[in-house]
Amino acid sequence: MAVTRERFEQGLTYEQYKEQMTRNRDRLEAAEGGFTPSESDLAAFRGLPKTLNVLAIAEDWCGDVIANLPILGKLAAESGKLNVRIFLRDQNLDLIDQYLKEGKYRSIPVFVFFDDSFQELGHFIERPASVTELRAQKRLELYAQNPDFGSPDSPVDQLPEEVRVRLAQATAQSREETTPWANSEVVRALRKIAERVPAGS
Amino acid sequence: MATRPIKVKITYCAECGYEPQTLALTETLMKAFQHDLSSIELIPWYEGSFDVSVDGEIVHSMYRDGGFGNPNDIVGAVKRRLAEAGS
Repeated sequence: MAVTRERFEQGLTYEQYKEQMTRNRDRLEAAEGGFTPSESDLAAFRGLPKTLNVLAIAEDWCGDVIANLPILGKLAAESGKLNVRIFLRDQNLDLIDQYLKEGKYRSIPVFVFFDDSFQELGHFIERPASVTELRAQKRLELYAQNPDFGSPDSPVDQLPEEVRVRLAQATAQSREETTPWANSEVVRALRKIAERVPAGS
Repeated sequence: MATRPIKVKITYCAECGYEPQTLALTETLMKAFQHDLSSIELIPWYEGSFDVSVDGEIVHSMYRDGGFGNPNDIVGAVKRRLAEAGS
């Protein structure tokens, strides 16, 4: 089912979404504060020939939403060229089921870019593949550098609790260190979709 | 009842919002086994995990088996392990 302007307008603005959050608002705002778009990226969005409509599907408990929705929100606020409306996944299954990851997973966030006549330009699901690949690589490096973590293929519940806590801390630190790069990959993916809008449209 | 402690561990992805499924399975196990389990441990983790182990043996893994698993199958696996431990 195609997304109509009427349906799109029923979504929450970014600020309304934040207001209705029941958890993780502090984490979302920390992610916002930690992201500053580059001048060249902002120039690319500001230079779009027309404002694009971006339908986002999200939930406040999801880590990828907390990481990536603020990027969209900030690009929209600072470029003035993205009209964002957010829908809660579990209350809008007809929408998420049109954008399943690998055709079967209701992964979020989903960002769908539409032109002025609601023709889809492209969509983004969850996180870029490059970010997933980097995390997997970093994970292997972590295990290689710390033999007491055991095999990356072994269940973590079999590690002694003290080792498991150190592994969790190391994983969190690795995530933190790669966040600026991951953010730039998200911007790159969103910019690629936005730039599909024809110059004359 | 088993003659030695039988533990269940549920490792779930905390950043993926898997708490409802984790708590639902925990409640199912609590009601099904009461004192027969020595503990049910919940381990908040990363990477899309939803793994259940009984007495150190993985009986369900989201990565390996897909999804959250059928609670009846997991209860069955616990029953089998309890029977083995009690025999």
